[in-house]
Amino acid sequence: MKIFQIALGILAAIGGFVDIGDLVFNVSAGATFGYQLLWVVVIGVIGIITYSEMCGRVAAISGKAVFDAVRERLGFKTGLMALIAAQVVNLMTLTAEIGGVAICLQLLSGLPYRWLILIAGAALAVVVWVTSFDWIERVFGYGGLCLLVFAVAAVKLHPVWGAVGHGFVPHVDTKSPLLYAYFAIGLLGAAMTPYEVYFYSSGGIEERWGPKDLGLNKANAMIGYGLGGFLSFALMIVGGSLFLDKGIEPEFLGSITIGAEVPLGQIGLLLALVGILFAVGGAAIDTLFSGAYALAQFLGWEWGRYRHPRGAPRFTVTWLVLLVIALGLVMTGVDPVQLTEYAVIFSAVALPLTYIPILLVANDRSYMREYTNGTLANVLGLIYLVVILVISLTAIPLMILTNVGQN
Amino acid sequence: MGRARDERVHQHRQETVSRGLALCLLAFLLTGCNGGTVDRHALERDAEKVGSLATEGELLANDVSKGASTKNFARVHAQELSRAASNFADALAKRPTSPGIEARVRRLSKLAGKVSDELEQLHRHPTDRDVAASLQQPLSEDADAADQLSK
Repeated sequence: MKIFQIALGILAAIGGFVDIGDLVFNVSAGATFGYQLLWVVVIGVIGIITYSEMCGRVAAISGKAVFDAVRERLGFKTGLMALIAAQVVNLMTLTAEIGGVAICLQLLSGLPYRWLILIAGAALAVVVWVTSFDWIERVFGYGGLCLLVFAVAAVKLHPVWGAVGHGFVPHVDTKSPLLYAYFAIGLLGAAMTPYEVYFYSSGGIEERWGPKDLGLNKANAMIGYGLGGFLSFALMIVGGSLFLDKGIEPEFLGSITIGAEVPLGQIGLLLALVGILFAVGGAAIDTLFSGAYALAQFLGWEWGRYRHPRGAPRFTVTWLVLLVIALGLVMTGVDPVQLTEYAVIFSAVALPLTYIPILLVANDRSYMREYTNGTLANVLGLIYLVVILVISLTAIPLMILTNVGQN
Repeated sequence: MGRARDERVHQHRQETVSRGLALCLLAFLLTGCNGGTVDRHALERDAEKVGSLATEGELLANDVSKGASTKNFARVHAQELSRAASNFADALAKRPTSPGIEARVRRLSKLAGKVSDELEQLHRHPTDRDVAASLQQPLSEDADAADQLSK
């Protein structure tokens, strides 16, 4: 079944592009600036496709995932810094996603939030323990496709299509340029968040990709992340069409689903909630695995969900420990939406430490033989390295200057 | 001599870096704070937020009145919005204000409390279409009042 073979890209993209923070960030961008920031999503999508294709190719040809490359190319000390940054951001994101799963379950069931956190944690542990990697991809990736209800909602809200089209042309038409820049940097950082490539490249190795799978890698990167970008467009258009004129600032997960409820009624609401549940659950699994992959690859441990848990005991213990820590953090009552917005901005700082080694290894003939980067991949890779450097230098100053996007 | 001077320079640099980091941390922590004096800008922002909560509540009430929402969603989300409005009411009632805007700040606090109470009704009666319909107009008026206070 060829359709099932692009599940990795879909899960990586849905987990990465439309996790709890991105959902709120995209709709907030629409509610604040209308359709003006659609072009930023396009830039983010091309960037993540470029680097995911690269690291998928590296995984298929050399059998090395991102953190193998980080350790080998950056050396132990710098690699350790990258590892620590990655683990902190992963843990913040994982905490937020578990909170997001609990909020979604609460909006569906009405049960108490704290009980649902425990249920969400237990369910994630069982799913990761008993389900094969292939089926995790399929269930969460394709379940997340319920989010396509936002595309229908966007059309039903009758946006001004000329203004939507104009949004794809880079322009700045606002009295709040700093806030505009904050949202632009946040959207780019969210599109290129590092855990997407940790998960994607390790997933390629979980699926035992080889040279014959390079076409599949391209299809996964382009279709998966293209779909993630399409969902981001839909969310931003919903924000611009429904919330901007009314002066609503969507700050809750429930606010996002009103964007599907108003034009489509109960069925829209339920599809949106189920889609968000799978997308946020998928993002929790992405980040849970990414944390364990990064540590195991950096320290040279046996790793992989394709192995029996006893075949990779330190990898298994790592994801279990990460899950328990995240559960403890979310039980403190931290706001998952705010936490993930901080995670997006902090992850922007760690971007160069993730993407520079990928570009170096993808050009190394001793690893890649005849499969090194072509001209297009290198030109795009270098352009995006500049973009990444700008993001990493400006993310935190903009967060402070705009009071986390509040001013 | 040279070594001692190098050490002093090194120490000075370390202190400068430490102070810089401390300032960054302070600035970062301040971005997350919701306290301090309410000045005109803060009043404007808080009024916009209260107006946003009222308008979102109005949308939700409208959906409930048409049977377009679900019981659990309406109950949980109305409570979320009500709590947020209640937090504004409490904070604006207590925080010191800049001279000349105290009356407007207290008016906004009362308005936020009213929005919170209305949303609490929606939380308690998430399937009652009549209650939801009766809340739309007051929430719409609250949003307009908040809009006036933000100007």
